[in-house]
Formats: sequence, structure tokens, C-alpha cells
Amino acid sequence: MAAVESSLPPGTPSAMRNAFGTVLSALILVLIGVLAFSIRLFSVIKYESVIHEFDPYFNYRVTQFLSKNGIYEFWNWFDDRTWYPLGRVIGGTVYPGLTLTAGTIWWVLNSINIPLSVETVCVFTAPVFSAFASWATYLLTKEVKGSGAGLAAAALLAMVPSYISRSVAGSYDNEAVAIFALIFTFYLYIKTLNTGSLFYATLNAIAYFYMVCSWGGYTFIINLIPMHVLLCIVTGRYSPRLYIAYAPLVVLGTLLAALVPVVGFNAVLTSEHFASFLVFIIIHVVALVYYIKGILTPKMFKVAVTLVVSIGLVVCLIVVAVLVALVASSPTGGWSGRSLSLLDPTYASKYIPIIASVSEHQPPTWPSYFMDINVLAFLVPAGIIACFSPLSDASSFVVLYIVMSVYFSGVMVRLMLVLAPAACIMSGIALSQAFDVFTGSIKYQLSSNSKDDAEDNTTTKNAPKDDAASGKTDKGEEVAKERSSKKGKKKEREPADKPSVKSKIVKKKALVLPLETSIVALLLLIMLGAFYVIHCVWAAAEAYSAPSIVLTSKSHDGLHVFDDFRESYAWLSHNTDVDDKVASWWDYGYQTTAMANRTVIVDNNTWNNTHIATVGTAMSSPEKAAWEIFNSLDVKYVLVVFGGVIGYPSDDINKFLWMVRIGGGVFPHIKEADYLRDGQYRIDSEATPTMLNCLMYKLCYYRFVETDGKGYDRVRRTEIGKKHFKLTHFEEVFTSHHWMVRIYKLKPQKNRIRGRAKKLKLKTSSGVSSKSAKKNPWM
Amino acid sequence: MAVHTTLPYRFFLSIALLSITAVSEPTDLTTELVSLRSSSESGVIRLNDVSKFITSVATPRPYSLIIFFNSIDLNSNPLQNFRREFGFVSASFIANNNNRSDVTNKLFFCEIDSSDSESFHRFGIQSLPQICLVDPSMENLRHHERGMMEEADVDGTAESVAEFVESRTKLTVGPIHRPPLLSKTQIGVIASLIAISAPFLIKKFLKGETFLHDSRFWQYGAVLVYFFSVSGTMHNIINSIPMYLRDPEDSNRLVFFYEEPEIQLGAEALSVGLLYTGVGLLLAYVTDALVRVRNVNEQRVAMVLVMVVSFLAVKRVVYLNNWKTGYQIQMYWPSSWQ
Repeated sequence: MAAVESSLPPGTPSAMRNAFGTVLSALILVLIGVLAFSIRLFSVIKYESVIHEFDPYFNYRVTQFLSKNGIYEFWNWFDDRTWYPLGRVIGGTVYPGLTLTAGTIWWVLNSINIPLSVETVCVFTAPVFSAFASWATYLLTKEVKGSGAGLAAAALLAMVPSYISRSVAGSYDNEAVAIFALIFTFYLYIKTLNTGSLFYATLNAIAYFYMVCSWGGYTFIINLIPMHVLLCIVTGRYSPRLYIAYAPLVVLGTLLAALVPVVGFNAVLTSEHFASFLVFIIIHVVALVYYIKGILTPKMFKVAVTLVVSIGLVVCLIVVAVLVALVASSPTGGWSGRSLSLLDPTYASKYIPIIASVSEHQPPTWPSYFMDINVLAFLVPAGIIACFSPLSDASSFVVLYIVMSVYFSGVMVRLMLVLAPAACIMSGIALSQAFDVFTGSIKYQLSSNSKDDAEDNTTTKNAPKDDAASGKTDKGEEVAKERSSKKGKKKEREPADKPSVKSKIVKKKALVLPLETSIVALLLLIMLGAFYVIHCVWAAAEAYSAPSIVLTSKSHDGLHVFDDFRESYAWLSHNTDVDDKVASWWDYGYQTTAMANRTVIVDNNTWNNTHIATVGTAMSSPEKAAWEIFNSLDVKYVLVVFGGVIGYPSDDINKFLWMVRIGGGVFPHIKEADYLRDGQYRIDSEATPTMLNCLMYKLCYYRFVETDGKGYDRVRRTEIGKKHFKLTHFEEVFTSHHWMVRIYKLKPQKNRIRGRAKKLKLKTSSGVSSKSAKKNPWM
Repeated sequence: MAVHTTLPYRFFLSIALLSITAVSEPTDLTTELVSLRSSSESGVIRLNDVSKFITSVATPRPYSLIIFFNSIDLNSNPLQNFRREFGFVSASFIANNNNRSDVTNKLFFCEIDSSDSESFHRFGIQSLPQICLVDPSMENLRHHERGMMEEADVDGTAESVAEFVESRTKLTVGPIHRPPLLSKTQIGVIASLIAISAPFLIKKFLKGETFLHDSRFWQYGAVLVYFFSVSGTMHNIINSIPMYLRDPEDSNRLVFFYEEPEIQLGAEALSVGLLYTGVGLLLAYVTDALVRVRNVNEQRVAMVLVMVVSFLAVKRVVYLNNWKTGYQIQMYWPSSWQ
């Protein structure tokens, strides 16, 4: 396509149209960028400009540290506020891409006297990068199937719900920039593959470096590209361009990746990277074969092949044996748990409860696909087929990309995010092809009609069509954008295509469809697109914009806002000592450190399973045992999240079974069966005594009966089993407005000397009250 | 005690003991069990005579029996797999304690089939799979709760059985030896086949004549992977979900669709996956194949059909999705239109 365009001589009408097409696509791309940015602002408009959820708070805290102390301090930062008493080396264990990006943006803005706060920059990083991501999608798809498909794919990506879910304003997480980096790396790879330019190959390695900085998902790239190279070799598509696209990426990319502290030597040591090295060897062998083929006569070449093949086989076998031995000698076979659970989907559920416990690591059901990529699920197969006619290096890459990502998304719902760009590219290709065929048929038949009939007849026929189309456009702005992208493509492509199409028509008697059915099909496609837009806007506005730190609910008497989390964290930061330790389940670790600035025992960076299991065990133990565990960890306060009053379902009682499982995984005296009545998890009168006496139950339901007199839990929809009880080792210090967060203080340990003195005193006075003193030694 | 150690009492006791040994000679029984065991393949004895080895032997018996309750007539795959695993435990137990007859003769692995309904009745077996350990002192078979393997532990693996045995008998089973997937001769044959065919394959490959060079193969493969993934097959495999359920209220009615977004049934998943994939394939058919058809009427009929089918398919999926998830997409019409 590009070649055809550039070969036209300047000054001709087609060149003029071409220039017009370029300007139009640039305009459309700007609009797509605006769309991508603005569709993600629902969260700011509906709630406020606030950081969302859990992980973003950590990233925000790191960015704050970076902007305050500079990059060197950040690199060497040892954080003593988390994982007490272990602490955590932040600089060496964090993917720095996101924080460095936002930090740089903040620094640039400040140095040109735009005084935005760090928080504002963090909130809007994700929407800005989604605009970049859609532009990268345009570039990538353009390399594969021309700019028409590119524009369609970019428009689709700008509002694909799966990506919106991770990149709404305030969702300040690695994926926000990583998806852009992922697509851009793929684009540069394809660009190198198409041009064979070393310049792009170097850029590709740098883009890969940025991706490695940003997200652990970079292993997807470093496995997908080798797979594509291997596929090209296997299907006999080896070319020097392939070599240039791949070899520099492995060498430079691996060197650069090893510079990132969190990756370091993993870039050459773990199995996730072995595929790239193996293919690196293979491509050299193949390159050598092709080289020898070039300098030898066919006969000599045959002899050489037999020689090389036999030697090569031996060498390969040895290498494979060494690799297998190396891999087998490491405990998990060199694969990290998350990657293993991708290859053997049943692995995590069997062996790693901490991975299985996260809901985004579950395999999705079909409605998830409908929710996350919506009608793209219908269009992708057409895109796959279109990529095969004809199959090029670039199109085979996107096919491989969609196949791999769709498989992985089937294993882990979280990877739907990686599928989304592939689905957009494929659907863009499919849509663009379909529009091409239908509009081409309409145009051809109208113009052929015009040849048969009178000239003016056609113009009247033609005009209403366009009007009808543009009239539809006005209905929804998003539709307009998506449609206009297709229009742009049409206008841009048709002038260049028309001559060739026409010449084909003369020879082959028209590759067209009937006029009226084409129009109907076009309308149906537009309806499908409109449905997609509506779904995306709905998803962005309703489903994915909740910051989950502030909750709202609508009822007949208006909107209720539950701001309990921030209330409680503020309480902690104002009413406790700076060095006090707060224990909670790991979900709330990041928020506690970022918003309350207090030391936590475990947080969302689940690097130490034993530590988490300790907290899980404490929560599952009776009060005294729990007190001892917490006291041994210097804990002053215990924070639990409880949704029973307002019906907030993701509270600690619902997460409790995972605490038991994770705790029991390390400390076998905690048995899941003890907490279940006939295999059922219940907290009502049928609950087991272990359940009713564990710390989590007590901390959540302490004084709960005072709210309504019955103790009716609105999440579990039942009356609780044990209503009236007292705490012996903990005291309630704070309960938030809607009871969502409850904070307890550990009672101080009994002072032994004073106790003895007291006892002596009691003995001397009377023996009556000594009994009660014994009963409650902590008072 | 001293009161009872009178001469008549001692005499009575010895008579009683003698009579017991006359009824069943424990040492003989042990040797008989050993011979029965050596004649069976994995060392699992088919126990046909419960009374001979258990009920009519005075306690404490010199051996324990671990009994697997089987039912060949039931023709259940998981049960037979479990039975095989049970055999592995037995074989491993014998192999790991090979030189120590004092250990191996303490425990015998047995099996009772459901055709022996009398024994099933004696043990009060209600459900399968079930494993029972008859320890030397057990007398009443119907009150054997302590010997039964707990339901939660019966997970069908050899390891669980070995753990159960070790915890109850203080005997060590040791590592479980499973037979390799392929025997050594099979591996040898396969390896030599590969070695012989490798040159031919490589030659063919270099010429570019294998199915790998056929883009159709990749095309079908890609669409298939897509189909299985979007239908959420992985979800069904990991959670081993059946194709359909029986309605709990009316056992003749089958339930194919499950009204809960987190769970899907096999048939449901495949049918929706088919709808997902089908629409795309139809679109591809129209844009790739149908344009090449010469006959305009044929094109027209085909396109109308395709459009109707696609429209219905999309509508169906939207309907099913709304039904399953309970979401209702808001249209955001201007408020004056409503």
C-alpha cells in the first residue's frame, strides 16, 4: 500500500488525494487520541481525581519518593515501612518504568512552570498512555494490512473495555504504560521485518528495554518473537530481514534487560528466556545454511547439507540435554510460578494458593470475553482469515500474537489485557476488509450503473446514500469517529486502489457483491460498531470507573458515598505513633503505607509466603494465640475490613478461607476442614466452634449485634452465630462510619512484677477477687 | 488380679486359647496370605473369604488388612484409576520392604468386589470408593469408623493411600513406584523410528513439502485455538466441569445453561464459542469467498442467509450475556427521548 502510494508522481490528482488522505488520517488519529483519553475520565468526573485500588497506591508512594529524593535515592531505597521486620528493597524489586515515566513527566512539567502535583500526574498517566497505545496500534496494523485497517484498529483499541479496565484515570499501574510499550515493541519488530533496517532494530531493542522496565509481562514478548522467528524458519520464510529483526533484539535487548535491577541476571538464567537463546542459535544455523547454499553449486550443497545436518543434530541434542539438565536441577524447573500456571493451567490451583487466591488469576468464562472485548470476539476469526490471504511475515506475526494471547487469556483472566490489542488489530483488519468489499461493491455497481444509465441519474442515486450514511454518523459521536476512520481509509485507499481494481474488473469480471445486500451488510456492520461503542462507554462509565477506595451505591433515597477507607487511614495517621505497626490482610498493605504512613507486616507485593501465612494463621487462630503471634511481630494495631453492615462483599470474612488456606500451607495446625461445616463456609449458628472463636470472626463481629439488635450480616445474608462476646486480648479503638474498617489495639502484656505485687496485695486483703484477676491476666 | 490366677482359671484359659488356635492358625493364615499375594500381579489379594481371614481369627491378629472396595460392574473410570493407584501402593510397599518379611507380613493389600455383596454388607459399605484398614484388634466390622479412610482424604491418589497406611499402621510404605508411561522397549522402538525417519523428514522439510508449509493448516489451527479459548475451555478443564447438569427438581430435564457469570457448563461454553467464531467465519466467507462467486443470485441468497444467521447469533449472545450476568447496558439516550 505504502509502496503504491509513494511511487505515484507528485502533482497528479492522485497524489493530491493522497496528501489529503494523509492529513485526514492524521486528524482522525488525533481524534482517536482524544477519544482514548476522554473515555477514561469517567472516574474523575463521577468520583474525584484520586488514585485507585491497591497497587497504584504503592506506585504513587514510590513516585512521590522519586520526585522528592531523586533517582539515586530511589535506586537504593530500602523501605522499612513494609514487611516488618524484614523490610523491602524497593529500588531492586520494583519495575521502575511506570514511576520513572510519571516522575519524568512531573519533572518536565514543573521545569516549564506547570505546577501539577505528583498525584495529578499519576492519575492522568494512564489515559495519556492509552492515547499513545492506540497510535502504536495504528502503526502496527498499518505495517500489517495498510492504514485503513490501522485506523480501524486504533479506534477499536481506544475504547476496548479490557484495556479501559486497567487504564482509567487514577488506575496508576504498570499495565498503563506497559500495553503501549508492548504494542510499540511489536510495531518496531514488524517494521524491522518489513524494512530490514538496523535503525529500527536498535529502536526495537530500546522499546523492549522500556517494556522490561515497565512490566513483568515482557516475558510474553521475549517468547512470542522467538516463536514467530521459529515459525518463519519452519515454514520456509527465512530471510536476512528476519535475521536483522531478531538477532540485534536478542543481543541488545538481553543486555539492556539485565540492566533493570529487578530482572538482572534472570535475563539469562531463567527458563522464560531460554526460548530466545535457543532460537538465536537456530537462526544462526539457518543463516549459515542459506549462506552456504548461496556460494555452492546445488550438488555440492546437497553434500554439505548432509554433513551439516548430521553434525547439527548432534550439537542440538547436546545443547538440549544440557538445557534440560540445567532446568531440571532447579526446584521449579527454572520457571516462576505464574509462568508455570500458564503452561500447566492446573499447576497453581494445586500447589500455589497465593496465586490461585487472586481472582484475576482465575480462568475466565465466556461472558468475560463478551464483557472485555465485546463484539471483537465475533470479528477476530474474520481477521485471522484475512491475515492468511495472503500470508506475509507481518500478518503471520499478528496471527501468532492473537493465538498465543487468546490461549493465555483463557488460562488467566488477567491476561485478557494482552489479548485486547491483538483482538483490536484483528477486528480492525476484518472490519476494514469488510468495509472495503462492501463499499467497493456499492461504488462499482453505482458507477457501472451510471455508465449504462444517464449521468445525472447516478448523482441523485449516489447523493442520498452518502447523506444516509452521514446522517447515521451524527447519532453517536463515537460512532462517527469509528466510521470516519473507515471513511478516511476509504477515501485514502480508493484513489490508489481504484485503477488496479478496475483493471482487475475488466479481466476477472468483478469481485463484487450485489448492491442491496452490500448496503444492508454495511448497515449491519455499522450497527455492530455502534453496539460496541455503547458497550464500551457503558463499561467505562459504570463497570470500570469505581476507584474502590471510595464506594458509592444508589438507592431510592439517592446516592450514598462510603468513604470509610480514607477515614480510617486518616485516623491511623493522626492517632497512632509514626512507628506503630499495623497488621491487616495483605490487600490493604499498600494503602496503609501510602495513606496512613504506618508500618505494615505484609502488603500486596506477595514476595514472602511465610510471612503472609503467619498473618493468615494469626487471623485464623483463637484470640490468645493470635495475640501472641502479633505481639511477637511488634504489632500495635490490627485492621480488618468488614462489609456486613452495608453489604460490601469483598471484605475480610469473604477472603477468610484464603487466609486459612495460605496459613495452613505453612502451619499445618490450621486445617481448612475445621472452619467448614460439611464442606460449607458459614458464619451462622451452624458454624464450627473453630470458626466462631477465630480472631477474624471476633474482630469483624465484635459488637455487631448492637447495630440492628439481631446481628444480621448483609453480605452473607444470615444472622451470625455468636452474637455476644467480649474480647480479652484486643480492644476496639476505631470503627469507621459504616463499619467497613475496624481497628483494634493489642492490649499490653501484663506486667509480671506488678502482677505479682497485686497478687500479694490481694492475698493480704481478701481472696475473693483473685479469681477474676486470674481469668483475665491482661487487664 | 491375684484372685484369678488360681489353677482352675489358668487351666480354663489355656483350654480357651488352645481352642482358638485350633479354629484358625494365625501363622498358617499369614503364609496363605503371602502365597495369595505372590500369585497376584501387584500384590493385591482378591479377598473372597472375609470370615476366614478376619472374623473367625481371634484378635489380635498377626497382620493388618487394608481393603479396597471395588466394583467392576460399575464401570467407573475414576474408581478403576484409583484401584490402579492402590495397586501401585501395594507394589511399592512390597518393593520398598523387600528384604524384611517381618514388615511385609504385617500388612496385606486386599480387594473386595461388589459382587461379594455379603462382605459389602458386613462392612456396611454405602458408597465407593472406600478404603478400610482392618487392624489386628478390630472385631466388629460394622463399627469400623476408625479404620475407614476419611472421605476428604480419598482423593484417588496413591500418595493419599500411602499416607493413610503410614499414619495408621506405623509401617513405612516409602516412595511410590509408578510404572513409566512407556516401557523401555517402547521407548527404544520409538527412538529408533525417529532416528531412521529423521533424514527423510529433514529432506522433505528442506524441500518445503510438509504440512507445516501449508498455510491452511495454520489457518485452521489458529481458528480452532481461538474457538476453544473464547469458549473458556480452560476454565472447564481446570475446574473439571461437566457438559451439562441434571435439574435437581426434575431429573429428566437437563440443564445446559447456568445462570451465574463465574460458572459455565461445557455445552454452554462450546455453543457460545461456536456463535463467537461462527459469525467471524461467516463474515470472512462473504468477504473472501463469496465475492468470487459469479452468479449474482447465488451471492444474494447466500448473503441474506449469512446476515440473518449472524444477526441472530449476535442477538443470542447479547441476550445470553445479559441473562447470565444480569447486566443491562445503558443506552445513554438524551433524557428527553425516554
